[in-house]
Formats: sequence, structure tokens, C-alpha cells
Amino acid sequence: MTPPDHQPAPDPKRFEVSKGTLWLDRAMTHLISVGGLAVILAVFGIFFFIVKEIIPLFSGAHVAAEKVIATPGGKPLLLGVDEWGERPFLYRGGSEIAFLNLEDGGSKVVPVPSLKGVEVTAASYDAVHQRVSVGLADGRVGSFLVVYETEFADDGERTVVPSVKVEPWFELESGEGAVKMLSYGDGGSKRSILVAREQGLSVIRLGQKKSLIGKAKLTKLGSDDLTERAEGEVSAIAASQNGQAILVGAGATVRYFFIDGGVPLLKQTFSPFDGKSVARMDYLFGGVSVAMTADDGEQRVFSLFRPEDSNQRLFGQTKWFPALGEGVPVFAASLRKKSFLTGAGGRLSIRHLTSGSTRWEGEADFEAVAAAIDGKTEHFFIAGEKGQVQRFSFADHHPEASVKAFFGKVWYEGGSEPVYQWQSTGGSDDFEPKLSLIPLIVGSLKGTFYALLFSVPIALLAAVFSAAFLPADMKRVVKPAMEIMASLPSVVLGFLAGIWLAPILDDKVPSIILVCLSLPLSSLLVGIIWSRQPVAVRSRFEGGREWMVLLPILLGVSWLGWSLGPVLEKLVFVYKDAATGKEIADFRLWWPQATGSSYDQRNSLVVGFAMGFAVIPVIFTIAEDALSNVPKTLTAAASALGASRWQVVRSIVIPVASPGIFSALMIGFGRAVGETMIVVMATGNTPVTEWNIFSGMRTLSANIAVELPEAAPGSTHYRTLFLGALVLFMLTFILNSVAEVLRQHLREKNKIV
Amino acid sequence: MNRIVISMLAATAAVATAAESHIDDALPAYKSVSGVSGSLSSVGSDTLNNLMTLWAEGFKKAYPNVTISIEGKGSSTAPPALMEGTAQFGPMSRPMKSEEIDAFEKKFGYKPTEVKVAIDALAVFAHKDNPLKGLSLKQVDGLFSSTRKRGGDDITDWGQLGLDAWKGRPVSLYGRNSASGTYGFFQANVLGKGDYKSTVKEQPGSSAVVQGIGGDLYALGYSGIGYKTSGVRTLPLSSDGGEFFDATYDNALSGDYPLARFLLVYVNKKPGEALPSAALQFLTYVLSKEGQTVVEKDGYFPMPAELAKEVVESLSK
Repeated sequence: MTPPDHQPAPDPKRFEVSKGTLWLDRAMTHLISVGGLAVILAVFGIFFFIVKEIIPLFSGAHVAAEKVIATPGGKPLLLGVDEWGERPFLYRGGSEIAFLNLEDGGSKVVPVPSLKGVEVTAASYDAVHQRVSVGLADGRVGSFLVVYETEFADDGERTVVPSVKVEPWFELESGEGAVKMLSYGDGGSKRSILVAREQGLSVIRLGQKKSLIGKAKLTKLGSDDLTERAEGEVSAIAASQNGQAILVGAGATVRYFFIDGGVPLLKQTFSPFDGKSVARMDYLFGGVSVAMTADDGEQRVFSLFRPEDSNQRLFGQTKWFPALGEGVPVFAASLRKKSFLTGAGGRLSIRHLTSGSTRWEGEADFEAVAAAIDGKTEHFFIAGEKGQVQRFSFADHHPEASVKAFFGKVWYEGGSEPVYQWQSTGGSDDFEPKLSLIPLIVGSLKGTFYALLFSVPIALLAAVFSAAFLPADMKRVVKPAMEIMASLPSVVLGFLAGIWLAPILDDKVPSIILVCLSLPLSSLLVGIIWSRQPVAVRSRFEGGREWMVLLPILLGVSWLGWSLGPVLEKLVFVYKDAATGKEIADFRLWWPQATGSSYDQRNSLVVGFAMGFAVIPVIFTIAEDALSNVPKTLTAAASALGASRWQVVRSIVIPVASPGIFSALMIGFGRAVGETMIVVMATGNTPVTEWNIFSGMRTLSANIAVELPEAAPGSTHYRTLFLGALVLFMLTFILNSVAEVLRQHLREKNKIV
Repeated sequence: MNRIVISMLAATAAVATAAESHIDDALPAYKSVSGVSGSLSSVGSDTLNNLMTLWAEGFKKAYPNVTISIEGKGSSTAPPALMEGTAQFGPMSRPMKSEEIDAFEKKFGYKPTEVKVAIDALAVFAHKDNPLKGLSLKQVDGLFSSTRKRGGDDITDWGQLGLDAWKGRPVSLYGRNSASGTYGFFQANVLGKGDYKSTVKEQPGSSAVVQGIGGDLYALGYSGIGYKTSGVRTLPLSSDGGEFFDATYDNALSGDYPLARFLLVYVNKKPGEALPSAALQFLTYVLSKEGQTVVEKDGYFPMPAELAKEVVESLSK
């Protein structure tokens, strides 16, 4: 038989794909590649943006010398400058002061009325208050302020107009001869003038009452003779900016006196250079640290701090700098940062206190006899023997940044030892920023650890139960319910944790301990008892409905544990007052006494609960999906071979799903480590470097959230916050990469057929 | 006889009202002008946040065409916002730091203008059931500071403050975050520019501080007086360990209460030019009798008339 010929020949194109489908296929391929590449680009873009903000932190100082201006009149006693670095002044000890004009090289001479007809024998300059203090041949001391005012032309151009403002004279009641040296310590309401005469050393105490409105009146409170207590020829003196501390250097010894209302008390006698003479003592900005320069140029910085087990704030060496060279040392401190300029024998060096580093060092055209830094720390000036003045423009935006400052222990001003500390901003200009990232990294890991400690067991057990035991009809309700938990905004969780949960948990720690211990134990116990029950009883709750029996028991046990908490507290957590022998049953008192670490209401336990609440649904959902997707054929085969439900789960479901469970854990970790609002709201944001569960923490992410709005763009603080972001980024990046490798490994190991 | 009683009653009533209100009678009443419209925004102090909101409400009653937005996350957020032009007003509870002024000046060529708008007494709060009589600044420094620049002892326990019943109870410390001007003012004036202990719980707002203290019997904390609630009490302070002074208007003005300060609003005013009319009218309103009544209602202290007049004049030049 031949096939009927009326049948049409098969369409030759019948195996071809339609053009539309092909086109769509190609278009989608490109679209997806573009999308994928965009994600990669976006991640790298963020990475590069962060790195770009960070790089300037590690660049050094730039200094450029400008031309030398010659001025008539010879060697200056003092050199000072306005905050813009435009009109430096020279004071040569007469009754006039010369303001230079840097543009034309000329100078404007301004008379100081109070200095007419007197013989000035000593002068000193306080750059913070722009005050020139002078001592006379007849033993009087006085001062005048250098005032710089600004005027604006119509086109907005600024002119700096200098003038002087005279302050009163003070008589000294002790000592003889002309004034050799003096130092004015102005702390606002408390002031002191330390004066060394040809014979005798004395201090004048001044006071000013601070009221909110109206002019304050300066009164002389008294003067004290320190001649006998200073012992020896005075070689250097310094009065601090708080008006309370005075330093007297005589040869190799320095004496530190403290004025607390009355006569100065000798607090400390020390020898800063082990025998070498002290040539200069200069307070750094802030009045806590003193740069001591030995006669051979070696420089050591001493700060006031409280040595361990002492209640006295005493001077101790915190930093050391090498000698610059032979010659009379000059010194000027910055008025914005803890930097200072020092020079000797024609060399100049800019150094920074916090990092203990030399930011710049160079050779000057002539040997400096005086130096000054402008208020904004953008220029510095030196004056030479013949009255010549040179300006240097100076840019060093982040002197406090260094790898050591971020990750190492630093000895800060006023601290008794090098520490890791984060305290980025203060209310005053002379605050020393403390920028260690270590407390924040520890905080991030600590918060994550306690959150995972709470959430991982619950989430994983719940996932296993839901995937392998729970009947399908109940699972349809339970799973979405758990997922709704994930949609709770973290700010709400944080708010609830901080305002509602923390006060509740505050005095209930023993109850929590009891509940946490009794829940797993009692469920195990119920399991054992249940397995001994006759089949008739058990079959009533078959097929994953056993929880109906367990749940009321667990609720009962929880309630029992919760209410027995105070009993446990009375039995175990008893605080004993060492002084009175009184015993108080209070966990909050017992914990610090027993462990030596603190107890805080806003602690890691609260954060662990709140953050755990946010992490549980994430881990649960992903792990549950992985467990549910284990092929039914495998589990059915195992059951058919006689495996019990638990054996199926243990030997088939969990190993096969382990890569997915692992991913769930890593995503949970990522969620916890980057979580911000819960930590901000529920902890005290205390940057402590400890793992104590009953203290708070400050995480990297919370730190960025709290401090970024206040950080001026481009400032060290701002860039350091970005550095924190990079650290966080690297932390999750490295952990995720390691986790991915592990996951692949697990997958290979448990490959199904 | 009756007459005497009535006049006595009248006298006491007069004294009572005088003690209640500190509004200076010489303060001018606010007169609205025509042609004011536009939008104003304010970014800065949390201490001043409520006040700014109340002022904005009052101002909008006079000028319905003006919209005002207010954000208060802390004084340190004011300078960046002023600089970037995202706000016309930068309310601050501490004076600007030199570095902040430098940054502003670098951009505009002149310094920002400071306007004093109210008086605050920064208060040390304790739980309402706290029996403590008062604290000296040295003790407060010992409580809050790790450097203790005032030279006192380290205080961590209520027993050290003389409360024998609370012996062994640690003092739970609440404070503001570092963006806050209150944080900075407290640091400069109480801690002698020292450092805070790292156990001071940093709260993102003044109300969070007060709320924290209200819920924690063993707590101490600081914040502006305007945030006082029924759950807390202010502790009288003494600057030298002698007599304690409570945070009242008179003590604040005389300087007896050691933590009095001006609340400030910074504006970007070009030298030689008056402020734009909407901003100028707002500040004139703030420094009028109506504006200062709001200050008192919010728990702060009003400005003396003379000072208010000076400020308004300097702004219109």
C-alpha cells in the first residue's frame, strides 16, 4: 500500500523556532546580562566611592614656603597672627606693635597706650586669647589684647583691621628687680599670672564671676610667693589655660603647682629628661599636655592623668619626639588640632600629639627666633634675628588619622594608659578625637553573636519541625505567619525593646535563666514520657499533632520558671555588702560583684532578643524551603525501609538540605551584623570593648547612623565613618566568601545521585 | 479687718503670678507685616525642637502662606545644613565650634550669625522617687567622667552619694549622643572638657533621656530643663560644693545655678545686608512677647527685653 498522496508534505520549517521567540530569547539574555553586570558594577561603585572617601585620611602634610619679608627694627620678642593668616604682628618690647601687610611688605605701627614711658623687660603671648602679657623693670605686670576685626566691602571682600585693647596692671607684693619671665593662664573664671623676677617667683590669682548677662568683672584674689618652694634658678615657666595649673622649671627639675581656690599646692616634682635641663615648656591646645624641650632639643610630651590607684592627676610622659638640632628652640601650638610647630637651628618640624608622629619636617631659610600658627591652621610664620618674617602655607587635614589610631591602642590626653576608645566629637575646640574602630567592631560582633545565639536554635528547630513534622494544612498557616514577622520594621522592634522590654527584663534575669533552661529540658522529658505511652493514647495525636500535648506543658513550665525566678534569686544571686555585711538578693548587684563586669538595663540580652526576633523569620524561611525541597522519593524510600520520622530527618533530610541551611545561617548573620535601628534604639550605644552579656554595645552600623548627620563632609570624623563602613563591608564580604566556599563543599559532599 | 485680708490676698496673688511668669513686660508685642511668604526650614538642636515647632505654629497663624519644616537631631547637624543651604535656621544648644565656623567661612567668606532666642538651665535629672538633696559639680564629674578633671572621686554607687539605703546599687547613667549640643555643653562645663565614661548610655534625643530615667529608679542623666516630666525631678546643683541651687530663672540669670546657657539659632546673614524678610520676621516673632510666652510654656526661660531688642536690631542691619 502506498501512502495516500493527498496528504501534504510536512512543513520543512516545523522544527524551527519562531522568530518572535528567538528575538525574545536574545533580548532577555542581554537584559539579564545587563542586569547582572549592573549589580556587580553597583557593588564595585559603592566600594570605590567608600574607598575614595577614605584615601585622603592617609595622605600627609603639604607645606609651601612663601617669600621672606624684611622689617626694620631688629629682633622681635613675640610673633603672633590673626586667624586668617593675613596680618601677623611683631612685638619688640617697646610701646608699639607692628602689623605686617603681606601683600606690599609694609607694616602698620599701632601704639599701645598703657606701655608709654615704661620699661618692658619680659613679654609672653597667649595665642588662644590673643593676649600679650608684659613685665616691667619695676616689677609690675600687665597685658593687652590684640584684636582683629573684619570689615566687608560691598563686593564681599574682607579686610582685617588690627587694633589693641589695654588691660589693667597688677603690682607684685614679693620679689625684687625686673620681671624676667611671665606666663598668663586664662581659664575664664579662674586665671593666674606666674611671674619670675630677678629675685623671687610669685603667682597672681585672678577671678571672674560668670553670669549669663552683662559684663563680668575681673578681680584680683591674691598673690602668693613661691620663691622658696621653687628651689633654684628658674629656667622655664608655664601657666595652664585653665588658670589652675602652673609649672616651674628649675634646671632639670619641674614642679607642678595646683591652685584650688587658695594658695598653690605643690603636687608633683619630677625630672622630665633625667638630668638634662629644661629649656622650654609649652602647653598644647587644650591645656592638658605640655611639650617639654630639653636644652639639646629633645622633646617629650607630658600629660596630666591619674595613675592607677591614685586620685591625683599628675604629669606623666606620654609621647617622645627626637631632637631637631642645636639652637634656641621655638614653639607654636595649633588652635584647632593637637598639632604643634617646633624649630631649632634652622630646622622646622610639625608634630602631632595623638599619633605621636612627625607630620612634616624641613629646612628654613633662616634661623627662627619666634613662630606662630594662624587660627585656622592653614599657615605658619617664623621670624628671624633681623626681623624678617616668612609665611608658609600649610595643609594637613587629617593629622589624627593613622592605622595605629584606628586599630591600635593610643595613649590619649588625660588617660592613664594606652587604650582602644571611640569618642569622636566633643563640645569644645580643644577636644582630642578618639577614633579607635576596635570597640565598634567588637560591638558589631557582640550584637550578632547574642542575636544568633538566641535565634539560630529556635529558627532551625522550627524549620525542621515545620518541614518534616507539621501536617500540610497547618504548615499553610504557620509559614506565612512566620514570614509576617520579617515584615516588622526594625525601628518598631528597637523601640519596643528599648522602651518596653528592657525595663521588664531588668529585674527578671533569674526568671529568664530558669525559662531558658527549663524549656528544652522539659520538652525532652515530655518526649521520653510520651514514647512510653500506649499506642492508643499516642495515635490520637498522630501525624505531627503531638504539639497539642506539648504546648500546654511548655506554657505551664514557662510560667512556673518565670514565677520561680525570684526564688532562684534569693537562693543563688545574693549580693553581700562588704562593709555592712547586709545581704540583698538582687541579680543586678550580684553580677558585678561575682564577675567584675557591669550590669546595664539596656544590655546585649535585650538586643539579642529584639534582633533575634528580626533574624528568626529570615533563617526560618530559607532553611524551611531547603528542607521542604528534599525530594519526596528519598524520604519515602527511607520510610519504606522502616526508618522512623526522626531517622528520616536526621539521616536524609538534614544532610541533603545542609547547603541551604548553611545559606540561611549566613543570610541571618548578614542581617544581624548590618542591623542598625534595633541596636540604636535598644542599647545605650556605649562603645565598650567587652563581651559581657549584661552591658551594651555600639555597632559599626549604628555608629554610622548616629554620627553621620553631625559629621562635616570632608572632615576626619566623616571619613572615619566611611572607614567604618568599609570595615563592615569587608567583614561581611570575607565571611560571605568563606561561607560560599563551605556551602559548595557541603553541596558536593551531599550530592544526591 | 476684711480689707486687710483682701489686700493681703491680693498681695500674695501678685507675688504668686510674679513668681510664675518671667516674661519681661518691655518685650514688644509682635506686629505682622505684609508680603511675607515662602518656605523656611530649620535643622539642628533636639533641645530646641519643641520650641521651634511651637514658634512655627504661632508664626503660621500670622502668615498662612509660609511653610516651615523642622528637623531636630542634634546641634551638630545644624552647621552642615546651614552650609549646604538646606536650612535657613540652625538651632543649637551650644555655641558653634571654631572648626564649624571655619568650614562655613571657607564657603561664604563670612562667619555665621548667632541669635540668642531663649535661656535654658541644663538640668541633672533623677527618678522622681530619688531622695538625693543635690549634687556638687565635682560629684557630677565623678559620676559621668572617666578623666575626672574636677579632681573628685570616681562615683559608681549610690552609697558614695550618701544614700545608705541604696548602698551597692550602681548609678545608671543616661546622656545624649555626641551630635547633641547638650552633650558638648555638659562636657565643657561639667567635665572640664574631660571624657565621658563609656558606660553613659547615649540616647538619640532629650525625651529618650528623660524617659529612660523615669523608668529606671537608680538612674541619673542630663538634658534641657524643657524636657522635664512628672516621672523625673531635677537635682539642685552647687558649683563649689557649698549651697545647692535649683534650676530656676533667677538662679540661672545670676549665675548661681552653674549650668545656665543661651539657646541659639544660627543664620546665614551676609554682612551689611538684612536677612530675607520671612526669616527676619520669624526671628522678630521669636523675640517678641508672643514668642517668649511660648518659651515659658515649653519650660524654658524667656529672654530679657533689652537683649532681645539688641538682637533684632542687629539682624535688620
